[in-house]
Amino acid sequence: MLERVVGLAVIVAAGIYLWLAAALPYGTTARPGAGFFPTLVGIFGCMVGLTMSARAFRAPARAPVVPATTADVAAQRRALSTVAVLVGFCLLMPWIGYPLVAFAFVTVLLQRLGSAWRTAALIGAVTAVVSFYAFGVLLDVPLPRGPW
Amino acid sequence: MGPLEGLAYGFTVALTPTNLLACFLGVLVGTIVGVLPGIGPVGAMALLLPSTFALHPATALIMLAGIYYGAMYGGSTTSILVNVPGEAGSIVTLLDGYQLTRKGRAGAALCVAAVGSFIAGTIGVVGIMLAAAWLADLAIKFGPPEYFAIALGGLLLLSRLSGGSVLHSFVMVAVGLALGTVGMDTVTALRRFTFGSVALSQGVDLVPVIMGLYGVAEVLLLAEQGIAKAVIVSVRLRELLPTRDEWRRSWAPIGRGSVIGFVTGLIPGPAAVLSTFIAYNIEKKVSRTPERFGHGAIEGVAAPESANNAATAGAMVPLLSLGIPFSPATAILLGALVIHGLQPGPLMIVQRPEVFWGFVASMYIGNLLLLILNLPLVGLFVSVLRLPQHVLATLVLLLCLVGAFSLSNSYLDLWILVIFGVFGYALRKLSVDASPLVVALVLGPMMEKTLRQALFITQGSLADLVMRPLTLAILAIPALALLVPPLLRLRRSARTAAAPVAEPR
Repeated sequence: MLERVVGLAVIVAAGIYLWLAAALPYGTTARPGAGFFPTLVGIFGCMVGLTMSARAFRAPARAPVVPATTADVAAQRRALSTVAVLVGFCLLMPWIGYPLVAFAFVTVLLQRLGSAWRTAALIGAVTAVVSFYAFGVLLDVPLPRGPW
Repeated sequence: MGPLEGLAYGFTVALTPTNLLACFLGVLVGTIVGVLPGIGPVGAMALLLPSTFALHPATALIMLAGIYYGAMYGGSTTSILVNVPGEAGSIVTLLDGYQLTRKGRAGAALCVAAVGSFIAGTIGVVGIMLAAAWLADLAIKFGPPEYFAIALGGLLLLSRLSGGSVLHSFVMVAVGLALGTVGMDTVTALRRFTFGSVALSQGVDLVPVIMGLYGVAEVLLLAEQGIAKAVIVSVRLRELLPTRDEWRRSWAPIGRGSVIGFVTGLIPGPAAVLSTFIAYNIEKKVSRTPERFGHGAIEGVAAPESANNAATAGAMVPLLSLGIPFSPATAILLGALVIHGLQPGPLMIVQRPEVFWGFVASMYIGNLLLLILNLPLVGLFVSVLRLPQHVLATLVLLLCLVGAFSLSNSYLDLWILVIFGVFGYALRKLSVDASPLVVALVLGPMMEKTLRQALFITQGSLADLVMRPLTLAILAIPALALLVPPLLRLRRSARTAAAPVAEPR
């Protein structure tokens, strides 16, 4: 089932890419333009997607997936919250600045992964201060400080 | 400059205090990263790449490569002591390594692994000196058609060898090539696939992509495990010496492993991992007592540990002599050189001897440092494993975020990091190898440039491009690798169809 979905997704993605590539000047084979190579890549992608789908649809559907156990669900939840915290970091850093976002990032993530709130907040505070000093001050990375 | 003269000059470069320190830091970080399961050398190299921007290109290369081969030393420690591979290249070591630990021979296994790695690393460096110089002489004759053929052939071979389905690898190649076309066209300066974004017109940077695929994705897998602590066996210093019998059994496997590793390293593919499997199986075949394998045979540690180190050296050859990386790790090394305006390839050895020979000499020094670091200090490195995994995972993620931002102070790189982190995590779950994507992203722009030049030379004739003797020879290898296995399978199934009597299983 998954293979069929992936195959179709590859065809759609390669199709969109090919459509965008078609808008670029193709040139001639002797003098290829900016769209020449992308067109080849798009065609290659479409062919791979088509082959994958054809194989997946021809193969007999496999047995239904075994339902996830509670341990699996907890593990998936931990991975998902990590992704959510990462996205939060990217969204908030321009607005509230690096020190605060780093503190929140480390604290929330450690708590989600199993630390007690107090330990998490302590490690978060130390990490935020040390990393801001190391990168922002010593290594001159222009980390945003926030509105204050 | 001959090899010996070059090497002598290289030592004068590598032994300067800055380069010596860079080499030490590289192998130290490499060992730690190798010991820690879940965090690999590629992620660590990508993470430290921005910090090398201010350094001399030779220093940057020395430090980053130190992480790569240093990780191969560290990886064996975790395999042997904890029964968890520290690195993908140490999976095979675990089979006999941990059994030796259970028999109380952990020290001997660690010692043979370290000495084997040292010998293999040194043989590998000699191999680089000879092969790179020879290949560079040959490569001077290459024109755009040959370079295009090497890149295309490399990608095809990588897709065949990276494990799993070839179709999945082809999807990765397509994604990598497509990403490589984003940004300004180098010939006509036309913006492609940028959707009006100024940041995207610079193209998709390799570093956040690699950090995402190899750093963030690995951390997401670690995060799944939550709080976990390894059970660690302590090793006393005096237990480190193998017996005379153990030494006797190890020399030949170390030699064979080194040669197998170096040759595998030359081929596009996951050389460090593949070479260990090949070396282990060969030892099992040539052994008079193959039944000992899997129950604590020292040869089962000596051969793969030598092979993975020699493979890292072999993988440097195409990068240094042709300027073409065939693995994510060497792609980062290329990135480090390109940032400094250097183009590795046949001309670099002549024009920038301090970079090439300094780097080669540093590998001798690095291997010696690793031997010193890994034997007496093994206990210290193992104690890194006592750090709670979730704290480590969080700190690595924060470093990835700051590292990606520091590349060009752009929020776009942060998003690329997160997107490829999630993508890499999904790929791990589906058991798809991401290395064809990374290599295609690096080779894509070069393939496009050389293809356009080649077609211009041949007046648009594809036949003229392919039928040149050198391109034909270069493309024949991957073509055979791709076509022979399915043909053999077809023949086998035709035979079984012809003989309907079922064979007893």
